[in-house]
This record gives sequence, structure tokens and C-alpha cells, in this order.
Amino acid sequence: MATMTPAGDYRSTYREDMTIFPTRGSRIALWVGLALLCLAPLVLDRYLLHLLINIGFLGIAALGLNILVGFTGQISIGHAAFFGFGAFASAWAHEALHIPVALAIPLAGLATALIGLVFGAPAARLKGLYLAIATLAAQFILEDFFARARWFTGGVAGRVTEPFSLFGFAFDTDETYFYVVLAFVVVMFAGAANLMRTRDGRALVAVRDHYLSAEMMGINLAYYRTLSFGIASFYAGIGGALYAHYLLFVSVEAFNILFSIQFLGMVIIGGLGTIKGSLMGAAFMVLLPEVVQSLADMLAGGAVDRALKLGASISYLREMAIGAAIILFLIFEPDGLAHRWQQIKAYWKLYPYSH
Amino acid sequence: MTMTTKRRVLGLAATAAVAAAFALPAAAQPIPVGHLMDNSGATSDVGVPYGQGVADALTWVNQARNGINGRRLNVLGFDYGYQAPRAVSQYQAWVNRERVVAIQGWGTADTEALVRFVTRDRIPYISGSYSAALTDAAGKSGRQGVEAAPFNFFYGPSYSDALRAMLQWAKQDWERRGQQGRPRYVHMGANHPYPNSPKEAGEALARELGFEVLPAIQFALTPGDYTAQCLTLKNQGANYAYLGNTAGSNISVLRACHTAGVQVQFLGNVWGMDENAMKAAGAAANGVVFPVRTAVVWGQDAPGMQTVRQISRISDPQGQAYRPVHYLAGVCSAMLMVEAMETAAQNGGQITGPRIRDGFYARQNWVPRGFEGVCAPVTFTAEDHRGTMRVALYRAVVTGDTSQGSVAELMSNGTMRIEPVTTIELERRRDWLGW
Repeated sequence: MATMTPAGDYRSTYREDMTIFPTRGSRIALWVGLALLCLAPLVLDRYLLHLLINIGFLGIAALGLNILVGFTGQISIGHAAFFGFGAFASAWAHEALHIPVALAIPLAGLATALIGLVFGAPAARLKGLYLAIATLAAQFILEDFFARARWFTGGVAGRVTEPFSLFGFAFDTDETYFYVVLAFVVVMFAGAANLMRTRDGRALVAVRDHYLSAEMMGINLAYYRTLSFGIASFYAGIGGALYAHYLLFVSVEAFNILFSIQFLGMVIIGGLGTIKGSLMGAAFMVLLPEVVQSLADMLAGGAVDRALKLGASISYLREMAIGAAIILFLIFEPDGLAHRWQQIKAYWKLYPYSH
Repeated sequence: MTMTTKRRVLGLAATAAVAAAFALPAAAQPIPVGHLMDNSGATSDVGVPYGQGVADALTWVNQARNGINGRRLNVLGFDYGYQAPRAVSQYQAWVNRERVVAIQGWGTADTEALVRFVTRDRIPYISGSYSAALTDAAGKSGRQGVEAAPFNFFYGPSYSDALRAMLQWAKQDWERRGQQGRPRYVHMGANHPYPNSPKEAGEALARELGFEVLPAIQFALTPGDYTAQCLTLKNQGANYAYLGNTAGSNISVLRACHTAGVQVQFLGNVWGMDENAMKAAGAAANGVVFPVRTAVVWGQDAPGMQTVRQISRISDPQGQAYRPVHYLAGVCSAMLMVEAMETAAQNGGQITGPRIRDGFYARQNWVPRGFEGVCAPVTFTAEDHRGTMRVALYRAVVTGDTSQGSVAELMSNGTMRIEPVTTIELERRRDWLGW
């Protein structure tokens, strides 16, 4: 394996073409990055850890949506409902069936995948806008189910749940839960990266690139479109379950349509059809409100606040900034943060002779 | 001076500085207190004046009384937009990072979700929710789904008790008007923990008192077109209807029912009616009966009103603003917490969660110092956090056009009035604890 990327395409086998790590440097960088993240709880304060944990479980769910939207070319505006289903399923499995949380989380993922297969069934026949409306129905059906199924969700009052624990050790602080989320992030992202190298993964991409050609090559469109929904829901379910055992409280009001749109925002901002873009998009979505909030705090009571009579509406800046960010990204960086990251890397690689 | 001695001197100075920092009296450190507000969510219509009352009162304590025993309060405000998950997330931030010793909270969904957390972390939580489920301090009610809530407090009668008092009044009202047959009662509100909280208790007592209980009518917490609900109300022939939501959506119902010509006596939740709502609803609000938590409303006089007017000037230096009933209630709930903290700090005591909780038990018929004649007396015990069983019922009276003029003007010229109806003293029944 080369240390640096050669100037030119010298790949002569499919194996080289499909590799995740093109150079030894990239492999080392990943391990060093992981090691640094493992040290994070020792040096970062709880506020930053809280943000990192949020990026982690939202990133997992966003990755699921990216597999569906970015890799398979389908659309879903009900992702938050699947995220919520995973959260409730894990809390319920722990409370009602007394399954340990460590086991309830993957089980919740599987249960959500089943639900995703059911609601993904229309994808076998519908495309584009029609599919979008079908997934919108999933959002509202599930939301209504959450509000009414008291045995499962605790109804509108929500459900309090227990922290993650393993062999009697409870991961109930930001410092400890960080490792749980990190482990899941590594497994789920490695899983997705490898999925895309398999026959099934390539089939998903083929469905996206040109469904007619894919079908002519012998790819079962209905099967792969529905499968993609199942995989996306599995990721959403795992993300939701991690959220449930972090916040320790699950309530229907969190999983509204706005949250679904935010997931779409994450994959668009991060970069459609990229694995790492999902995490970047989640990071952007988590950090943006914090930045806007601190800007708003600076504005509050200041000259601008008085001049524009912002007052209480300052808190709405947050929502507006998210909308503005999505529009700006679509105009100026439609390929997302992952693409920008590649460009920055390319710039430094070629420095100072970049063209 | 050689290099080493210089370094040694510097080292000594640094050590001294560090030692001084640690030796600073605890009195100088501010007391962190969380303040959860709804300034932008579904209940912000009443959340804003209540939150302002709490914030002004705590600022005033810092300015006029120099905090608690010389320690200033560091009030950490957060607008959670009535989203329970946001409240839980903020709670964890406050407890883990800011180490708050007490919290001024808000809604029913979030307060009930946090019961287990505040009990575990031993943090007194003074909520804007008056859900009866928060009153079972020792967990002895044995009710399904009601947990012990030893650290939850609120100022005023519980939603259930307020509704019970209104039903007792309704019964008297029915007889006084010489009506025949059984009166019909209906519960109205969103499918949300807050309007649901007194639903069963109210319907049970209504049956006990001989009402015919009609199927509940749902309407969302946000303003909208509720003509359909009013027509149902009319078709069912309801005589007494409980409005379980906050003022904003209740106004929509009142106006729609006014237009549809529905003849029904509305009974408002404690958050369901106020001066702003009267102005917005106009003639439609005329006749609504609702509980008021303070002994006076703005514009009336009492010994404690002087203090309240000082507090009001914190956010309104000109002294022009009209403060609705929720502002006064916010002041009283903040002052209960402040005085419980003062009790905890007596004789050099630490201001910790459990000691603040004990501060709530220290007095009987407790009115915070300086608020006589404003805050109604409350009594908390280790088993029973129903602060009061006395429910003062008032009626909203609107005699003219409310679209012109400010609330203050309309109240002073008598176009809008809040008239006392009666005060109901409920029996402190054991089987009503936590329900």
C-alpha cells in the first residue's frame, strides 16, 4: 500500500478500486482520530461532550437516511418517526420485557427496520413526489400511534427510561455514555462503508443512477428499494434508541415533521451519497443552533436588539438560521460538506501548484 | 535578586493567590438556580407573564435584599418552547454542569417527566404545573402511575382541586337558578398531559355531585377554528364546560361559541383566563368562571402590593405596565422558593436541595415576608404537597368593546372586571391526594 496517492490512476484490480483506505496515511489517521476521541471525555467539558454525543446518534440516523436518499435515490420525509419508533421500542422493551438496555438497542433497531419495510413498501411502486407523500403519511401515522398507544409509548405523557448499563456498570454520565455512542458510531459507519462495497450496495447505487438500466442488468427494483427503506429505518432505530437512553425520557412531541426535515437537511448539507458526509451534516446541524444561540445571546439587550425590536423573537433566529443554511448550501455547495472537505484536501495536496 | 529567588517569590505569590481564592467565604459565591420558561411555545400566552414574574422577583431579591443571606442568586433562564424533551435535556445540563440547587419550572409534561430525576438528584422543583400527581410527596396515595414527588412544589390549588371547587360552585349555581333535571358537564382540552391532568378527577366528582358527564371534547393547545367543537357542545346540550387549555386556544373556543350562540357556563383552568385573554376574546369572555391564586389582582391594594410594584419596576422602570394574574402568581412562587432558601441558610446552614425542601415545611399558613395580602397562605407537609385547599373563584366580566385601549385602561374604566364569585374551602380528603 502506498503512503501517498500517486499522481494518476494506477489501480489495476477491483480490490484496489473498492478499498476504503487508499493510502497507509488515511488508515493511520483514522486510528489516531479514534484514539483522540477516546481521550475526549478526559479533557473536554460536559457541554462539549453533550454536543459530541448528539452528533453521534444523529449522525447514525442521518447515515440511514443517506443510504436511502443519497445512495438509493429514494426520498423519505418521515425519518424522525422511525427515529422515534426506535426510541420508544427500546424504552418499551426494557420496561415491559425487562431486556437489558445493551440488548434493547439493537432489538429496537430490528423492530424499526420491520416497520420501515412496511412503510417502505409503497417505494416498490412509487417514485419522486408520490413517494415523498407516502412517507409523509408514515410520519403522521406513526406520530398519531405514539400519542395513542399508551401501552407502548406512555401516551402523550411520554416514557421515562433507564440508562445504558453493562455488567452492572451504568453509563449514566456524559463522560461514560460518550463511549457507548462512539462504539455504535464506529460499528454503524464501518457497516455502511462496507455495505457499499458489496453486491447489494452496488445494486442500491445502480438503482439510484438509472433505474431502467439497473432493471435491465437484472436488479430487482422493488426488492432493493424496499430493502433500502429497511436499512435506513434500522439506522434510524439505533440512533433513536441511543437518544432514548441518553435523555432518559422519550416523548412524542420530539419526533415531529420538522425533525424529519432536519434529517434531510443533515444529509443535504453533509453531502448526498457520502458516508462521512452524514456525520459532518449531523455535526453542522448540532453546532449551528449553538452558534446562533451564542450570537443571539450577544445580540440580546444590545443596540441591534433595540433597533429591530427583536425581544422575545430572538429565540426564533435559531429556526430561521437552519432554514437559511439549507438554502445557502443548496445554492453554493450542492455536493455538501464532504465535497468541500475533498477540495480542501486536494488544495493542500497540490499546494503550491494547484491549478 | 537572583533568578531562583525571583521564581520562589512568584511561586509564593501564586500559592497565596490560590489559597485566597479557596478561602473566600462561601457567602460570595452565587447560588445557581434554573428557570425554565415557555416564551415561544404552545403555552407562551401565559408563560411569558408568569416567567417575567419569576425573573423579576429573583432579580429584585438580588438587588433589594442582596440575595439569600448575602449570596446572590445566579438565575439561569432557558426558553424550552413547551417541548418536554428540551426541558429534560436542559435539566441534565443544569444539574451536571451548573450544579443548580433549585429550579423554577413550567409545564405538566416536563415536570411530570422530571419527577424521577429531581427526586434522585434531590433538587426542589417549583413548577408552573399544578398537576395533582405532583402533590403525593411520600408516594402513599397508591394511585396507578403516581410516583412519590418529595421535591415537587407549586403555589396554588392543584388543577384537580380547582376543578372540584368549580364543580361544587356549578352545583350551587344550578340549584340557585332553579333549574330542573340533572346539569350536564363536559371536559374540553387538548390530548396533552396538562389538560388531561384533572380530567378523571373532575368527571368523578361531577358524577358524585349528580351531573351527567358528557364525552370529552378535544381542541388543540394552539389557537385555531373550533366551531366544530362548539357545535358539538351545543348539540350535546352541555350546561357546564371545563376549558383545560391555556388562554390562547380558549379564546378561540370562546369566540367560536359566542358566534355559534352556545349557551353554556364555561369554567376556566387557572391558566385558562386572564386580563389579556379577556381583552382578546371581548364579549365572548363575559361570564367565564375561573380560579385566581392571589388575594388581589393588579390595581387593587394590599399591604404586599407595594413590594410587588417594586418588583414590577425591574422590567418596567416607568411603572406603566399592567400585570396579569399570572405575573402575581409567578412572584409568589418565586418568593416561596426564596424564603425556603433563607430558612435553609439560617444559622450558617448550607443551601442544599434537601434543606430547601425542609424550608418549605417550616411554616404553617405560610405567606412570604413582605407579600401579606397578596400571596395566599400555603402549608406543605412531608406527605402532602397540596399547598392549599382554598379556591377563590372569580368571574370575568366584560361590559363593552375591548378592541380600543390597553388592558390597564379597560380594567380601570370598568369595561373589563374580575369579580369575586365565591371562595370554596375543599375538604383535604386523603383519597384526593395525588389525584
